[in-house]
This record gives sequence, C-alpha cells and structure tokens, in this order.
Amino acid sequence: MVKKLRFVKLISVARKARTVTRKYPFEGPLITEEFRGEVRLDPKKCIGCGACIIICPPNALTLHDEGDVRVIRYFVGRCIFCGMCAEVCPTNAITITKEFELATLATEQLLRDLVHERVKCRICGKPFLPAKLLKAANDDIPGSDNYIDVCPECRAKLGLKGILEHRMG
Amino acid sequence: MSEEEGNSGQVVKGSEEAIFLVENLLRKKLSELPVKIYRAAGDSIVVEVPRRYLRDAANAVHNDLDAYVRTCAGCDEREIRGIYAVYHILGLDNYGVNVIIKVAVPENDAKVPTIADIAPGADWCELEFRDLVGIDLTGRPTHRLVLPDDWPDGLHPLRRDVPYGVRPPPVKREEVSLIEIERPGIPVGPYHPALHEPEYFELYVEGETVIDVRYRGFHVHRGIEKLAESKLTYKQIPFIAERICGICGFCHSTCYVMAVEKAAGIEVPERADYIRAIVLEIERIHSHLLWLGVACHILGYDAGFMHTWRIREKIMALAEYLTGSRKTYGINIIGGVRKDINKEKVPKVLEVLDFVEKETKNLADVLLSVPEVKRRLTGTGKLYREEARKLSVVGPVARASGLYRDVRKDYPYLAYKHVSFKVPLYTEGDNLARTLVRVEELFESISIIRQLLDTMPGGDIRVEEYEIESGRVSVASVEAPRGEDVHFLITGEGRPYRWRVRAPTYQNIPALRAMLRDQQLADAPITIASIDPCFSCTDRLVIVEVSGGKVRRVRRINVVKVAGGKVW
Repeated sequence: MVKKLRFVKLISVARKARTVTRKYPFEGPLITEEFRGEVRLDPKKCIGCGACIIICPPNALTLHDEGDVRVIRYFVGRCIFCGMCAEVCPTNAITITKEFELATLATEQLLRDLVHERVKCRICGKPFLPAKLLKAANDDIPGSDNYIDVCPECRAKLGLKGILEHRMG
Repeated sequence: MSEEEGNSGQVVKGSEEAIFLVENLLRKKLSELPVKIYRAAGDSIVVEVPRRYLRDAANAVHNDLDAYVRTCAGCDEREIRGIYAVYHILGLDNYGVNVIIKVAVPENDAKVPTIADIAPGADWCELEFRDLVGIDLTGRPTHRLVLPDDWPDGLHPLRRDVPYGVRPPPVKREEVSLIEIERPGIPVGPYHPALHEPEYFELYVEGETVIDVRYRGFHVHRGIEKLAESKLTYKQIPFIAERICGICGFCHSTCYVMAVEKAAGIEVPERADYIRAIVLEIERIHSHLLWLGVACHILGYDAGFMHTWRIREKIMALAEYLTGSRKTYGINIIGGVRKDINKEKVPKVLEVLDFVEKETKNLADVLLSVPEVKRRLTGTGKLYREEARKLSVVGPVARASGLYRDVRKDYPYLAYKHVSFKVPLYTEGDNLARTLVRVEELFESISIIRQLLDTMPGGDIRVEEYEIESGRVSVASVEAPRGEDVHFLITGEGRPYRWRVRAPTYQNIPALRAMLRDQQLADAPITIASIDPCFSCTDRLVIVEVSGGKVRRVRRINVVKVAGGKVW
C-alpha cells in the first residue's frame, strides 16, 4: 500500500521547491556574470581596421566604404553573440555587454553604425583609409611617414618612380 | 557484460594495434577482390573497391566482420578526378575502427549497386546521395527522400556545378495517393504537437491497433552542408555546426572540429579535451531532463514535466556560467576551446551537480511510481535486439534493446578514456527501458563531470597555429544524448570539400516502424517520442526552400508517391 502511494511524495517535493518562477520583468532576469549579449563598439578606440568583420561568423558586422566615410555596421539581428570580434580587436574597442532585451518592431533599430572619416590621398585626392587606421599603421611601421597619406595605387606608382629615378640616375 | 564488449577484451579500442589488426583482417577477408587498402586520418581505414565488387566487399565487412552502418556519402569529385565517389562508412565497434568503403563512379554512368539489402542501415543515406548528388542506385526500388516533390528532376544540389542558393521554379506533378493500404491513415504532424518540430507520420490502423506507419520528413531543409562547402571557411563552420540542433549543438560542433583536427593532425591541448567533455556531459544532462519532462507531458503528467524542467533550469544556468551561453554556443573552435573553466568556477559546478543529483533522484523515484506513467511505458513500443542490430540504431534506443553501443567506449575520444563510467544496458526494448537508460545515464554524466573536474590538467586551452592540407579524409563521432553523431569530412582549400553530417535520429527513425507496429494507437505519441527524435538534426542538409505556400505543402505531403510501396 505504501509503495503504491509513493507518487504522493510529489507533494513534499513541490512544497520544498516552492515557487521558482521569477516575476520578470518586474524582477531581474536570471543571467550569470558570464553571459554574452550584444557587443558594443567604442567609437573612440575603433580604428576601422576590419579585423572583426573578417572573423564574424554570421556576417553581423559589415564594412562599407562610401565616399568620404568608412561605415562599420553592426546588425544585432544577425549577431549570434559569440564574441569572436572582441577577441580579435587589436585596440580592445569591442566590449561584450549583458544586453539581451533587443526585441523591436523596426529593423532599423537593430542597426548600429560607426562612421570613420577617410583620409584623401595627397596625390590623386581619392579617399582611401580612416585616419585612425593610418596613424596606427604608421606607429607600427617606423619610417613610413612619407607614404602615409598616399593611397595604395599612387603609392605603387610613387615607388616605381623612385626605383626608376634611382636606376636612371 | 555483453558479448560485444567481451570480444574486444584483447585490444584497446581505437589504438594503433586495433587499426593494424583490422587492416590485416580486411586484407584476409578481401583477398579475392581487387581492392586497395590504406590508412586515412585518425582511426579510419579506406578500402577502395571497383564498383562491381562493392556488394561483395560490403557483405564481407558488414556481415563477416560484424560492422554496422554509420553513414554513407556521395561526393562530386569531377573537378579533381573526373568521377563521382561513394563512401560507405562502417563501424567496427569491437575494435573502435572505421572502415570507409570507397567506390569510384564514372561520370557518364553514374550508378552504384545498392547495399541496403545487405546492410539495412544504409537505406536512407543511399537515397540521400541519389537525390543530392545524382548517383543512381541499381538493384532496389527508389523514390525521392530528401528533395521536395516539386523540385525538378535532374537538378542535384550537392553537385559542385550547382551554385549555392539555387531556387528553381516548382514543377507541377500529378499527385498520386497511397492506394496499397485501404485503411484510414491517421496523420501525426506535419508539426509534432508536443515536440514542436516538423515531421509527418501517417499511422494506418485496424480498429485501435496500428498496422503500418509511414514517415515523411525532411521538411526543415536548411542546406547547411552546401553552405559550408561553398560559402563558409573552416573557422566559421563550428558556429553553424552547433546550430544544426537546438539541443545537442555542442556535440555537432565538437564532432566537426574533431574531424578537422584529425584530418589536419592538430594536437589539441589536453585541457581543451577535458573542457569539451565536461560541456558535452552537461548537454547530456539537460537533454535527458528535457526528454523526461516531455515524456511526462505526453503521458498527461504535467506536474512531473514542470518539476523536471525546474531542475533542468539549474543546469542551463550552469551551462551559461561555463560557456557564456545557455545553449553552450560559441566556445568550440578548431584547435581547442575559447573559454577556460578556472578554479574559481569549480565549487559552483559541484554545488549545482549535487543539487541536480539529489533532486533528480527524488523526482525519478516519484515519476516512475506514478501508476499511469508506469503502465503506459511498460511493454509499449518494443524493439527487439535483432531488429535493432539490423537497423543500426544508436544511442539510448540501442542500449534499451540490449545492444552495448556507446561511442564514448567504442571509439574513445576527448577525455573519456580517463574516466570510469557505466553504460546502462536494458534488454526489454520497451519505452520503460529507454526511459530508465536515460535516467541512469544522467547520474553517470554527473559522476563523469566530477571525475573530469577532479583530474583536469593545467596548460593551454587552444592551439592557434595550424595548417589544413586538402584532400584528406576523416571520420569523427561523438556520443550525443540521442545517440551518435557522425561527421565525415574531405578537406579542401579554405573550406571542406565535402562535409557530411549524420545525426542520431537519422538512424533511429526507421526503427519506429518496428516499434509502432501492432501497438495501440494511444501509445503511438509516447513511442514516437521515446527515441527522442530531433527532426531538425535529421533534415539538416538540402538547399531547398519550397516556393509553394504552407497549406499546399501540407496537402502534398499527404500524397507522397511511393515506388514499390515503401516509404522508408
């Protein structure tokens, strides 16, 4: 008889467990300190190098060069919150936040744009790379001051001209 | 101890010695045939056999050497060698060695003989490469399995010359209804009411008894294999691999990275092996608790459902604490893992494990004593051992039918060789046995995690530098909560040349026919659920997005054209 009634034990299990449902959103959500949510790009630290764009598995981060600006666009709707971008960022401009309440009725609200001014080539006048990126590159490669504000195409021509001048005397 | 395990007492499974033994065995068995036998990456041996001897070779390996079908894959190798190739991957549990039977198929005569009558486990995957790569089969009735009915003939999505994302206009076909059985077909699906996944079963009944059942699946085609072979890079694929399944995601990503690591010969730090194994076991615990809850729900015992999920929530939070994501996403990469389990985290893990162990013990005791639950699980959905072996079923379904089959023991991987654990084995083969196997495994998993945490070595968790040579072949497998995941890989330039994924449910669904036959109709829902089916896993691979509306699709599914009266 006792064995047959063993299932009644559920009452004691339930009494001990009590209410476990959290009254979210009136109470805080159940997330741990390790939770990865939306990432945030710091416009001050970002140099626009595009390392995050290359690593991003779902292409949530994209890069567009348009006219005078380079736009780094973060589309939260595609983000899988893996945090690979924060890992590869050379200037630690990307931080992983705990933000997950991202639902919205308008897709545009899920777009975060970061705009970099592009430097104009001193020879041809065409905009090519963000100023900050050039500065970072210049710091990395000593002695590159002469070429730093020249676009890659003009740089090639310049280099060739230099060699030719050297050869021809 | 079962007989299968007894056989292997002499050699360490998966060791060099075992591979050597198998190689010699193969040479002896296949000495009459003009075969080429050589080692592939890791624990695999390739047997290249001319097309007309395929059946002899398959017979020798499958029946004489007691292997079972893990999967098969078709591959379009016209760019490299001007041929198609078919790979049959057979597993020798007793040695922990994979045998890959490779057949070259000329382009102008793309046909291979079937081996489905020799090895019934190959039935589905043969039809799959027929659909996707367009290698026809001789000697068996064929029908369309994976591609939808309105997909044009002669367009095979996994051929290399078909670009990614092709959306051909739908082809109108005459709808032919199933007329062989003049009984009412009771539809279950196309959306499972309790498992919340798309599938379609048609149960044929006589009174209250099920006399036959047909399955039509592959509704959630996502084209993951094609995507990986044409768009993604090696490093991106782990993140899509873990999205093959909503439950055992980490198993798929582990399986993929293991296949790449094997093929490229990357030595992964031991600590990463331990972390991967810990996360895999956490996944098993949450999956089994989920299943237990759903089973209660299907049996109408919702109190049990809620309490199992209350306990499961702790495990989900633990997964988030260790990996940064409730679903353990985002930490597996080629060469190791991205997140360490440091010393400070260990006490919290142990605390949660203690809680879960105690609560689950209490609850399982209660659940299994509820008269309704017990009565409906006992003796229903029987799968006998012989049938289970023939159909190459895997995971808890195999273990509940008396087959000692567990990848963690048979093909040792990651850190499992450093821990001791028991593989629960039942011989009844009914729904209760499958439930008990899962409940016991839960406790084994908890013990495995404790042992792993206790003995975890220090050191790095990832290697950064590696090179992946193209043209290498490897097979990796992981014991997922539902059975074994198998990933077959041929490396290419920058991305896999061929990546074939086989989820456990793929092997287990065909067994449902045997389980459901002659059962009461009322028991069908729990029997279908008892294999813990994951339809998204099973359907993972085609590019198809049917342009017809949903309603139309439902109607069409009802009238699958069947050749030879066989849908399986």
